[in-house]
Amino acid sequence: MDKVLEGLLFLVGDDGIELEEIMNILDKSKEDSLKLIRELKTFYDDNDRAVTIECLGSKYKLVTRAIHYGYYTKLVNNVEAKELSQSFLETLAIIAYNEPVTRSQVDEIRGVDSSYVIRRLLLRDFVCEDGRLDIPGRPILYKTTSKFLDYFGLKSKEDLPIVEIESKEEDEVDIFNSKYKEDV
Amino acid sequence: MEYIITIDNFSGPLDLLLHLLKKDNVKIEDINIEKITEQYLNYINKMETLDLDVTSEYLVMAAELIEMKSYVLLPVQVNNEEEENPREELIKRLIEYRNYKEITDELKLLEDERKKYFSKDISDLSPFEIESHDKTECVDVLIEAFNNFIKRQELDKPIDTKVAIKEYSLTERNKEIGSIIRKRKKVEFKELFDKFDRGYIIITFLSILDLSKKQEIKIIQENNFKDIFLVNKGDYNG
Repeated sequence: MDKVLEGLLFLVGDDGIELEEIMNILDKSKEDSLKLIRELKTFYDDNDRAVTIECLGSKYKLVTRAIHYGYYTKLVNNVEAKELSQSFLETLAIIAYNEPVTRSQVDEIRGVDSSYVIRRLLLRDFVCEDGRLDIPGRPILYKTTSKFLDYFGLKSKEDLPIVEIESKEEDEVDIFNSKYKEDV
Repeated sequence: MEYIITIDNFSGPLDLLLHLLKKDNVKIEDINIEKITEQYLNYINKMETLDLDVTSEYLVMAAELIEMKSYVLLPVQVNNEEEENPREELIKRLIEYRNYKEITDELKLLEDERKKYFSKDISDLSPFEIESHDKTECVDVLIEAFNNFIKRQELDKPIDTKVAIKEYSLTERNKEIGSIIRKRKKVEFKELFDKFDRGYIIITFLSILDLSKKQEIKIIQENNFKDIFLVNKGDYNG
């Protein structure tokens, strides 16, 4: 069965495969499937194979090892790692930590108009629409995608770097309440 | 030469403010509105003399800063406490923005790490799908679609139309004219065109020519512009 799992991971490539799909195809329970995945990964790691298994955006993928990175870049003539610019990164961060979120909420935190950046993020599949907020105008809500998690090598949203944004939210609520109390 | 960071290096006015604070090693909480406003406006002005586009967001922030500065300079009024403190507001925004900016640094590291390993493209499994689908289902689907198309075509046709064109037959008309001429020996050409119907006229004319060709009748006109008569060949003499 581990051979079939290996084959599956090879076939799905970039797309990756979710645990549930593995369970269905191999006709195994969740525990057995996870065990198979773990065993295969251990096999790769112990035998120092070129590939290994990573869980990215809750999908299992067969990937090459980071330590061999230097060799692989020799396949390309001009190595120029394209990176997301600051405005893309901060917009993504704001969406990821507040999702689902509207464009104007992102604008407010950034202090600039974000429509262009969000459009580009939509095109690159890093964010997607997630319904509409039930307020006048019914603005579109955005959330991050599995591709976003993969891009940063994260298994799930829980793996996002932890920052104390919670305290800030409490502050906001306090001011909101106190302001209205004073008004009354 | 002084090193100038252009406005393009900042993702927004908040970013610029953070930069200005950092340059002077000032904590966000200790922000001095008067000083920061001056620095900020200086910066914007410098950008404009360098002919760089200063987007509206920067100008909005400039206006807000000037407003805040005027607040600070005005003598404190009694009801001031009840109003929102614009300085606190700005500090809050800057802290929040800085938090996200810090996250982006971490994201950048993650991005770099993830760049170091690769997965390959998904294998093309479509030949599979075509075999299992096309051969059995797809042909049936096509046939069904074609049948439906034919049915629709049938419906599209006009409902049993009969365009009633009266058909004239040359042989029919030959017999008719032949018998008329045989009976009356001599018939005026015009007389045979008794119906004003294009088909009738044509077939009559054709029939006359045909009969004449077969030497069954003779066409006589005594002079130019005189009436034309048709006579039975056998009855004609001279």
